[in-house]
Amino acid sequence: MTYTRSQVEDFLFHEAALIDEWRTKEWKELYTEDAEYLVPPTENPDADKNTALFIINDDKHRLDQRAIRLTRRTAHSEFPHSILCHLITNVRLVTDADGKQGSNDIPVHYNQVVYRSKRQITDTYICKVRQILVPEGDSFKIRSKRVILAADTLRPQGRVSIIL
Amino acid sequence: MSIPLPSGPDGYIKDDRANSEFLVPRKAFTSPEVLAAEREQIFNTCWLYAAHASEIPKANDFISRRVGGRELIISRNAEGELGAHFNTCSHRGAMVCREKMGNTKRFVCPYHGWTFDTGGVMVEQPADTGFPDDFFSKGTKNLRSVAKVDTYRDFVFITYNPNAKTLIEYLAGVTEYIDIVADQSAVGMEITEGNHEYSMRANWKLLLENSADGYHGLTTHATYFDYLQATNGAFRTDFDPATMAGKCVDLGNGHAAIEYGAPWGRPVAQWVPQWGEEGRATVDELKANLVARCGEDKATRIAEKNRNILIFPNLVINDIMALTVRTFQPVDAGYLEVNAWSLAPSEEHPDVRKFRQYNFLEFLGPAGFATPDDVEMLELCQQGYQNLPEPMWNDISKGMSQAQNGVNDELQMRAFWRQWNKLMAA
Repeated sequence: MTYTRSQVEDFLFHEAALIDEWRTKEWKELYTEDAEYLVPPTENPDADKNTALFIINDDKHRLDQRAIRLTRRTAHSEFPHSILCHLITNVRLVTDADGKQGSNDIPVHYNQVVYRSKRQITDTYICKVRQILVPEGDSFKIRSKRVILAADTLRPQGRVSIIL
Repeated sequence: MSIPLPSGPDGYIKDDRANSEFLVPRKAFTSPEVLAAEREQIFNTCWLYAAHASEIPKANDFISRRVGGRELIISRNAEGELGAHFNTCSHRGAMVCREKMGNTKRFVCPYHGWTFDTGGVMVEQPADTGFPDDFFSKGTKNLRSVAKVDTYRDFVFITYNPNAKTLIEYLAGVTEYIDIVADQSAVGMEITEGNHEYSMRANWKLLLENSADGYHGLTTHATYFDYLQATNGAFRTDFDPATMAGKCVDLGNGHAAIEYGAPWGRPVAQWVPQWGEEGRATVDELKANLVARCGEDKATRIAEKNRNILIFPNLVINDIMALTVRTFQPVDAGYLEVNAWSLAPSEEHPDVRKFRQYNFLEFLGPAGFATPDDVEMLELCQQGYQNLPEPMWNDISKGMSQAQNGVNDELQMRAFWRQWNKLMAA
């Protein structure tokens, strides 16, 4: 089966809405049991999570805990919750050399800008995202999300206390 | 330089040993004049951490980074000798090195083409005319080097102060703790790939205080402990909670450390069930090697204890669920920059390296389960100081009435502030 960009965009927009609305417990259900959620070091987007120091290197267990943590008042950095807005653009379904989509693993590349506002300061995260989706009913689940910061450092944002 | 702080019999702090009260002026965190004095009297006089030798192992390797607010090239020349030079052309001042790290024979200033070798020696420029024959041969057009560079156990320090005492004298009692870090490898520690370069909208001294503060753990980091509780096998099964009380020591010259039992896994050699039986065999072997090299007592100390080490004025080595080297510097009174790395034995088994890098992020880093909440606390403090001049003082008295201080006391911060006060009042 071939998936259209619209189908994939609908899914990505849904994920972004769950994050922006702080529905993190629903957000984590979008991920497969073998999922990974990664933010690699700024100088090497292709770094290996088993050898390099990442910014985020979550397996499903830690991703779940991240989602639960963000619902607590004691997740101080996000209490009260900051105001978030994801903008997603340049969505591409990546095909193999023969122009074919994978039948199970569907690689998707897109760009996103995430705004986080709190205490009268707005931080901007400019990201290039690589996801691997797998079909799930008439939608998808996420097997891998690698968020590459389009920046050479995490100054001035200073933290990634939100989900990108 | 006049420092706009209240001054009393103890200098700029109130160090009332009779009543066990220790106060620090909040204006020290907000005043641009205090920061200007700190640049002169602290950052321009102390030894500052610049790099780890593993980042520049070979001849002609270089790093460019800010150290104590100044732009440096830290490099090895063609003979492999370590040096540190101001990253500014001797001609008109442009930065001659624009890459973060690499290997090169020459730094060519992009403005007029003045060219320097990796030892900072001016070697050529493109013009045929306009300069006397011996103009460039006198050494006056070389890149200016910093006053002193020295290394302790592969930690590279520099000072801008030509009259500074030796590095070993400066480090005083903290060498014992640096040794415990360096001794975690039989062949040498290394900075691993990747780093955390972030920032906080807070004064630099707030991060120093926070980096070895046991007292804030249970409140600021409640969700980190929730995470550990929710993680199967995150704790050693035979852990004795009494060891968490630990100790806090003043190591001289403003350096200090806390040391305490670690309930969690430590990739140097403390296994937890989360790492599985296969991981156990690997970690047990690491421990056996450590015992063979260091003896039972020291090996157990290395493997099973956490250490948060403060090296005056702005280096932190936290040897906890992973090993981080963290340095930070003020940009202005209310904004600091942090650079942090993961340090590991260079011979580390791939499985253990994987645990290490995974472990690091469960607590540390700008997206860890703890550091973002530290950032929040520091920024709340900085914003709270907007209330000046009314509440004028911070309280750092905890433990002052006790002969011994533990992890949850504040001796380590008093050690810092007493040295800060000594240098600022000088």
